[in-house]
Amino acid sequence: MRALRLIALHLRVVAMYEMQYRMNFFLQLFQSALATGTGLVVLALVYAQVDELRGWSRPELLVVLGVFTIIGGVLESVVKPNLVRFMEEVADGRLDFVLAKPVDAQLLISIRAVRFWQAVDVLVGAVVLGVGASRLTPRPGALAVLGFAAGLLFAVVILYSFLLILATSAFWFVRVDSFVETFDGVFQAGRWPIGIYPGWLRTGLTVVVPVGFAVTVPAELLTDRSGWVTLAAEAALAAALAGLARLCWRLGLRRYGGASA
Amino acid sequence: MGDAAVEVVDLRRTFKVPERETGLRASVRSLFHREYRQVHAVDGITFEIGAGEVVGFLGPNGAGKTTTLKMLAGLLHPTGGQVRVLGETPHRRRPDYLSRISLVMGNRNQLQWDTPAADSFELNRAVYRIPPAEFRSTRDELVDLLDLGALITKPVRNLSLGERMKVELAGALLHRPQMLFLDEPTLGLDITMQKRIREFIGEHNRRHGSSVLLTSHYMADVEALCRRVIVIDHGRILFDGDLAALGGRLAAYKELGVTLADGAADLSGYGEVRSRDGDRVTLRVPKETTPQVTARLLAEHTVLDLTVEDPPVEDIIELLLAAGHKAP
Repeated sequence: MRALRLIALHLRVVAMYEMQYRMNFFLQLFQSALATGTGLVVLALVYAQVDELRGWSRPELLVVLGVFTIIGGVLESVVKPNLVRFMEEVADGRLDFVLAKPVDAQLLISIRAVRFWQAVDVLVGAVVLGVGASRLTPRPGALAVLGFAAGLLFAVVILYSFLLILATSAFWFVRVDSFVETFDGVFQAGRWPIGIYPGWLRTGLTVVVPVGFAVTVPAELLTDRSGWVTLAAEAALAAALAGLARLCWRLGLRRYGGASA
Repeated sequence: MGDAAVEVVDLRRTFKVPERETGLRASVRSLFHREYRQVHAVDGITFEIGAGEVVGFLGPNGAGKTTTLKMLAGLLHPTGGQVRVLGETPHRRRPDYLSRISLVMGNRNQLQWDTPAADSFELNRAVYRIPPAEFRSTRDELVDLLDLGALITKPVRNLSLGERMKVELAGALLHRPQMLFLDEPTLGLDITMQKRIREFIGEHNRRHGSSVLLTSHYMADVEALCRRVIVIDHGRILFDGDLAALGGRLAAYKELGVTLADGAADLSGYGEVRSRDGDRVTLRVPKETTPQVTARLLAEHTVLDLTVEDPPVEDIIELLLAAGHKAP
């Protein structure tokens, strides 16, 4: 409850600030449209040649693209800006002020920096998802939609925890700049259902960097490819990663020395 | 011991610092094999601060002031020794503890940079769970005392350094902390603003009786605010006691900086010549004769520039070391 209130307040401050720069909204809209447009063109090219891709029809892949865009939007607008700021603060010592506040510090570092307009990706993704879902046959049932929503939530938890674990390495190595870019590269693989990749890559995208898993599972739930077992597995992975992230966070805090004397 | 705000016994903090020679070869070698050196930033200090007391923590850069402060505020785990603040162990960082203290660092900014301070105040209200009525009255009092007026509605990045410090202080006091840690609050400010900040800290302490530990390397900060001073150097306490006792011996001097038209003139007849940098001569003069010496200088020479300052804190430490003074 308290956490929600803090999140809402921080969002309000960020929103008030970003509203001053509405040009960014149009730039972001353009950028999102361009990225999604490219994705749609690639899909059109693929389906001009074949009717299905390893069992995935065109509307089904639209669902995957929608999920990919939504999750990408959440990562870009909330998760990554916060973690980048956190890592900068470890390096220059400003994390001191976060630690001096009577609020859970992990919560605080995860909600302060929001790239507001980047959230446009979430809207664009939702539209693509909606179009894809409306063309699915048979129509997904209420349970599938519910499972999908839960799957999407777990996916965000998985990726947030995964990235937080990487970011806490800043406590030990201070300057860790490149992982965000490396992750971006791998994340692009999530555009396609992991089923289309060869076995070793599929394992990598599930276990090592759970990107493929995070994006594909919600889409599978909506298109009736997986059921409750997969959802339970995803929930378990989300819980395990969140726990591990918490552990890394605590160990890291013990290491934290603050910059300067 | 019961009602002391701060109790510190044999507190230590050691940092492991990577050490390498300069040059590319050494850098490459250090990729694979690192040598570390132990730095004793705080090396066994013991002191106590009473409730409502304002204590000055004086020492040169790198003396261990900030490290001690950070341990007291719960940001750093001590390597050894005991520390209790307001009856709590700081590095456990219990929310209960953290909402009773406040930390302000002169060279850092903790308010949101791009938005007006008033927005950051709102965030603090939520973070510290300040009841709305209390929040309003405290905020209005601080705005009044610090003469903030319209400053809190301007984005923080548009404020001057001094204005920013005033707003920072206000933000840090909204939750009425019982213990206030101020790390170099006047750093880089002009004289007027330094004075303003000092007066405010003094006034706030008188009104609300919160304990204050203030680090500085300006003697003037400590003189204006603290009856008691702790001098620290190389992580050890050199002096802990009445400012008057320290002042009697050490603040008994003033430092005159003189630039003469005739740069070669011998000034040793006016006071102890501390240094000579081109045409600029620094003299140490007993405080009570400062006016006469200054008058004589002005009468007998063509003076291009003259400053009268307190001796730097390094001199105080040098004198303390020379006197072999140890903490009681």
